[in-house]
Amino acid sequence: MTNHDDGLPNDPEGIRLMIHALVDGELDAAAVLAVERRIAADPQLAAEHARIVALQAAVSRLPRPDVSDAFQARIAAIGMAATAQQAQDEPVQDEAAEPQQGTPSAQPGLIALIGGGQRRNAETRLSQTRVLPRARRFGSFDWRAMAASIMISAVLASGATQWLMVNSASDGFAAAVASGHRRSLLAASPIDVVSSDRHTVKPWLDARVGVSPPAPDLAQDGYALIGGRVEVIADRPVPALVYRHREHLITLVAEPQQGGGTTAPDDLSSGGFSLVHWSDGAFSYWAISDMERPELDDFVARFRKAV
Amino acid sequence: MLSEKALAERFGEVVLPHLGDALALARWLTGNAADAEDVVQEACVKAHAGIAGYAGGNARAWLLTIVRNTAYTWMSRNRPRGMLTVGDLGDLDEIAAAHGTSLPGEDGPEASLIARADTAALEAAIAALPHPFRETLVLRDINGLSYREIAAMLSVPMGTVMSRLARARGLLVSELGRTP
Repeated sequence: MTNHDDGLPNDPEGIRLMIHALVDGELDAAAVLAVERRIAADPQLAAEHARIVALQAAVSRLPRPDVSDAFQARIAAIGMAATAQQAQDEPVQDEAAEPQQGTPSAQPGLIALIGGGQRRNAETRLSQTRVLPRARRFGSFDWRAMAASIMISAVLASGATQWLMVNSASDGFAAAVASGHRRSLLAASPIDVVSSDRHTVKPWLDARVGVSPPAPDLAQDGYALIGGRVEVIADRPVPALVYRHREHLITLVAEPQQGGGTTAPDDLSSGGFSLVHWSDGAFSYWAISDMERPELDDFVARFRKAV
Repeated sequence: MLSEKALAERFGEVVLPHLGDALALARWLTGNAADAEDVVQEACVKAHAGIAGYAGGNARAWLLTIVRNTAYTWMSRNRPRGMLTVGDLGDLDEIAAAHGTSLPGEDGPEASLIARADTAALEAAIAALPHPFRETLVLRDINGLSYREIAAMLSVPMGTVMSRLARARGLLVSELGRTP
């Protein structure tokens, strides 16, 4: 037992480190085998192994800090808008973004690495704030690709089914909403921002299209907010929320209204999809899903109540 | 150059999923949850500025490196005293080795005693660890980084990571073994 020929260290400290490495999953198969043999042959090593396993389990059970909604939203905002929004809402961040001169840096490499980018970023941010922040936001948007994909799916949809409805002013819009929803069901992911947290979804949409519809969380009613995406309809980007109800997805497109009136929910269902349209003065809503009409009506009622 | 949109997306993929880990690390480095939020927020601003430099690999490790470094600059700014500088870490390894943190295996406490340790006792024991040991333990057992990732983050050889981790755990085990 003293003379091991298994390639492991023979000093007590060395073998202890190997036991830690075993517990941490850092050993290859051959070494795992060798260490396990040593443990099996030596009760002291077995006891040490058991202690490490127990300790690691205890540490992993420690409560972890909560990522509060407010905090998550604050951080998400950093990523979304290097524009006016951040300057207004987060004076603390601007302070933090100051290059840290005069602070004795323990990590000159890292600071140097990101310091330059940081300063550059701050300048860009300032210039963006001055020059029409909203227009700037639109600029980051890849129009042609999205518009092209909409057109292709619209052509496919109209060719394959009797989707398009006649004699209604909102036909074109309804068709585009519908094809957007169908396209989303075919895409790898029906959502561009995956989050059940409206504090994430709203700023994400706001940063991309400059508006953000109310996004109540209706999870308690059985309609969970799972994210959002941007639709391009009639050459304009419009925000869309995605809710899930059991196995069904609901796309809720919210077109900003310019002083429009309110209209009651109107059934535009066709072609196997349920489509309901209504307006509340601020937004014109289009809810579409492959759910049955009554279920979609229920969603619409709950949404309108929550807004 | 990546577009602004691509960078924003990358921020969403690289940073946002790891906020829990970032807060956990910052909480153990600074000692409390409120400071941890400040540190992580500042780190995320830096991460956003440096996101173009993220070259793939473990996003969590990348973010945690920034969090760790931010925590040190934050503490040196906000707590001028009582803070270790990074240059002292090597000495500390020697000091700790000298006052015998390596338990001789035979008289360690029963594993079941450790398993029953209550949260407060364990948290207090971790908080009492010398800084480099605590940091290594948290990166491994709370943040789940590999030895190699920790070695790269701390700029120390992997053997040092292993011995710090073993010592950190040895100290916790003996501390928990002492509490009834």
